[in-house]
Amino acid sequence: MSNSNIDRRDFLRVLGISGAAATLAGCGNTSIESGAELVESYVQPEDFVVPGVGVFYASTCTQCGSGCGIMGRVREGRLLKLEGNPKSGISGGKICGLGQAGVQVHYNPDRLTTPMMREGETLKPVSWDKAMAVLTARLGSSSALSGDQIAVLTGEISGHQKVLLGLLLESFNSTNHVVYDALSPTIGRAACKAVLGVEQPVLQIDKARLILSFGNDFLGAGPSPVHMAAQYARFRKAPRGTLIQIEPRMTLTGANADRWYAIIPGTEGVFALGLAHSLLQHQEYAHAVSADIAEALKQYDKDTVSEITGVHADALSHIAGMLWERSPNLVLSGPAAEGHAHGFDNAAAILLLNLILDNRGKTLQGQASHPFPQLTPITGSTGALTRLNQAVTAGKCQALVVIGSNPVFTAPTFVPFANNLSKVPFKVAFVTQLDETARQCDLVLPLLSPMEDFGTHVAGYQPAGVDLMIQQPLMERLYPETRGLGDILLDLLKQRKPDAYKAFPDYYAYIKTAVTKAKPVFRTTSSDDNFWEDALRNGVLHLDGPPAALETHAAAVKVDKPRSVVTDVHYPFYFVPSVKADLRDGRHANLPWLQESPDPLTTIVWDSWVEIHPTTAAEMQIREGDILEVQSATGSVMAKAYLFPGIQPDTVSMPLGQGHTAYGRYADGMGVNTFKIFDPVFDEHTGELALYATRVIIKKTGEHANVVKDEGPTALQQGRKLVVTMAADQAQLAKEISRVTQ
Amino acid sequence: MKVRVKNCLIWLSIWVFSSAAMAEPFVQGGAIGSQTEDGFNALGPVVEQPIEFPHNTHAGQMGINCMYCHTYARRSGVSGIPRLDKCMGCHNLIESVKDRPRIKKLFEYWEKKEPIPWKKVHDLPDFVRFNHERHIQRFYFKEDRPVREVCGYCHGDIASMTTARRVKALSMGWCVSCHQKEHLESAGTTKTSNGPNDCWQCHK
Repeated sequence: MSNSNIDRRDFLRVLGISGAAATLAGCGNTSIESGAELVESYVQPEDFVVPGVGVFYASTCTQCGSGCGIMGRVREGRLLKLEGNPKSGISGGKICGLGQAGVQVHYNPDRLTTPMMREGETLKPVSWDKAMAVLTARLGSSSALSGDQIAVLTGEISGHQKVLLGLLLESFNSTNHVVYDALSPTIGRAACKAVLGVEQPVLQIDKARLILSFGNDFLGAGPSPVHMAAQYARFRKAPRGTLIQIEPRMTLTGANADRWYAIIPGTEGVFALGLAHSLLQHQEYAHAVSADIAEALKQYDKDTVSEITGVHADALSHIAGMLWERSPNLVLSGPAAEGHAHGFDNAAAILLLNLILDNRGKTLQGQASHPFPQLTPITGSTGALTRLNQAVTAGKCQALVVIGSNPVFTAPTFVPFANNLSKVPFKVAFVTQLDETARQCDLVLPLLSPMEDFGTHVAGYQPAGVDLMIQQPLMERLYPETRGLGDILLDLLKQRKPDAYKAFPDYYAYIKTAVTKAKPVFRTTSSDDNFWEDALRNGVLHLDGPPAALETHAAAVKVDKPRSVVTDVHYPFYFVPSVKADLRDGRHANLPWLQESPDPLTTIVWDSWVEIHPTTAAEMQIREGDILEVQSATGSVMAKAYLFPGIQPDTVSMPLGQGHTAYGRYADGMGVNTFKIFDPVFDEHTGELALYATRVIIKKTGEHANVVKDEGPTALQQGRKLVVTMAADQAQLAKEISRVTQ
Repeated sequence: MKVRVKNCLIWLSIWVFSSAAMAEPFVQGGAIGSQTEDGFNALGPVVEQPIEFPHNTHAGQMGINCMYCHTYARRSGVSGIPRLDKCMGCHNLIESVKDRPRIKKLFEYWEKKEPIPWKKVHDLPDFVRFNHERHIQRFYFKEDRPVREVCGYCHGDIASMTTARRVKALSMGWCVSCHQKEHLESAGTTKTSNGPNDCWQCHK
């Protein structure tokens, strides 16, 4: 611009005028026209259809496994927007941003609209007839596959889709249903099972007066965040509950906490046992655990705990004092505490606090028993993928069916699933949109979107009673060459066992029969048809049930000598991945609304970044926007630095879910794939991959780029101090409690 | 040289702006017709429809209420086009006209179960939201005015036409001229009010 003859004012003037012209020209119809457009009319619509007036249909959100009831607003046959279904006990009429973006799965311009088949290196469109001929030749009546020669790989799945998959496998004398979840809660569930006797207790957040959470992001990416948020709102109403969060990197829940403490990753269990020791000094808790445990806990004095965890010793006393005063309370363990080699022990130690504080039956309950166990979801794990990978490597797997899972993107580098896939002679993927895994398959079948298909769902987290969620089409299919998963599975089953399934012309008939068969359980006198129509209208079939009792197994908690975390001179930083509430494991990176939604903590959009503590950044002379290489023993990625005070100073954090290479226009090339730098560290008890145990080294590349974010140039609330915060160590905690435990 | 480049760019922009934005709203829909009494360009072009629907027979000679067919107008922001089975509801029973060319065409569409591709006559720019329901509810139901008069405020005397033709300006100034008038709030009262004057009422 320096040599130009146009000065800035002229440039802006020209830009303004031509911009206005471009805007007007791009506005669509800007004039009063007659005869230019057709006006669509109906031939024989339903009586309730009025052009311009929306009609709401109930269905179920499938964006995550929470099973929230939704209402789709439909006008002139088009789905416009999703809302929460007030009749759903899980969502209570609310919906989250991830759920809202469900319409973009449906209207995504990158939807797969025709079957694809491999020809050499590429996938080519084929007709359904040809695709089904190939599918039935491999998996139909003439298939000789049996047992572990066939595998079905899915994400978390429940309801009648799960039943049909099980029946299909059964027809091959197989039970090889592999459920893979890259962000699996396996370790925490195993600890709950060991200490409380149930894998997934119900959290009565609203009944607690104080919540102490070790890295549990229940407002963000935890199970059933919509339900949790509603409970949390009640928890915060007078008398206002107190939330204390202890974690290495601030989550959305941490940002809402009254007290937030940064802890060295992996030492959460030590801190919990320190609290347990402190609590046992009180008379009322003295007999809460056996004498052996009480004796072993004496090693966890506050100075030792403080040295290991990096949390100030006084904080421990004060938190113990608050727990003692504010009963009932709730102590939560989360993925950040569980994703370590001793993650199970960490979680068990945290749960021990609930036993000492006698929260059982008050803020922690068991789930009601489910009358249809065959419909409940299977929890996924990374261990399941590792086992499948071993079978594939050994050449045992002859056919692989992939549904709702993208291991080529999410598998860590030491599970070379992508490379091994070629060893499977026949791979078929059922998808709504091509992803990295589908592109490596031999046959890809285009599914109806969740807004076009029938289904039933059961949530893994049932807060009260039992809900059987009904999914129904909210509008006609957009693309004629797409089909429902249930219909395809039913077609295959008809080939395998014609007599058993000939009564069902399609999946609708199957699901209607299956749901109406469940009628006696719901103790209703209505006819089958009325029962089914009520189910569709309400979107949910609810059954009250008493919560299951929790058990007490304090002996499951291992109280060893307090262990420090071993440091690694080659990889001096702890690496804490952050799970975004919207992108999750990357399956939603194809939805532009979610890419455009600013990360709640950093306000960054459409990208990956490296969060680093300002003090550490100052020591290393790193500025915001400096491109850093984050290298672990297994790989490295590069992203822009973001200076973030909500992180432990020896820790760096990067979000998961970005870095796609073949997942449509909105996902490809955005950020980097942090799954690929995980170290092969596994929980010693469950064998599950420890997601928070990776160590890295930070290298400056010398390059710099602007960080694209909504936050203004001055961090910390634009310099206006809208919400006053201070370092937790400086807070006068003694004022909050009358009695301080020593 | 410096000045000349600058002037060229500015004039180029003005030309682009005026050709893209200014010419469009005023030429189309205004050039064909003469002005109405209130000074607005009004008469739209003749729009050829797939069936030359005789409004004059239905609403004129037979005196059928407009809303018998245009049933959505009182219920929704958009009036829509009558559903095809509405036409068939009567014409299935009227033997005397079944062999007429227009009715034969109607039956052809019905047998194919295809909607008739009517062309839009009264169209507004995309940034304007007009609400039929509010106007019908106010003037027809509350003030109890005759339906031909109420619909006619914007659509003219359709009962004297065959296929509809735009005879009112439908421009913003024309809308506002009516909103500024005092209107009775309901039949049997002398209390009056005028239409809303806020931009967002129509530009949402």
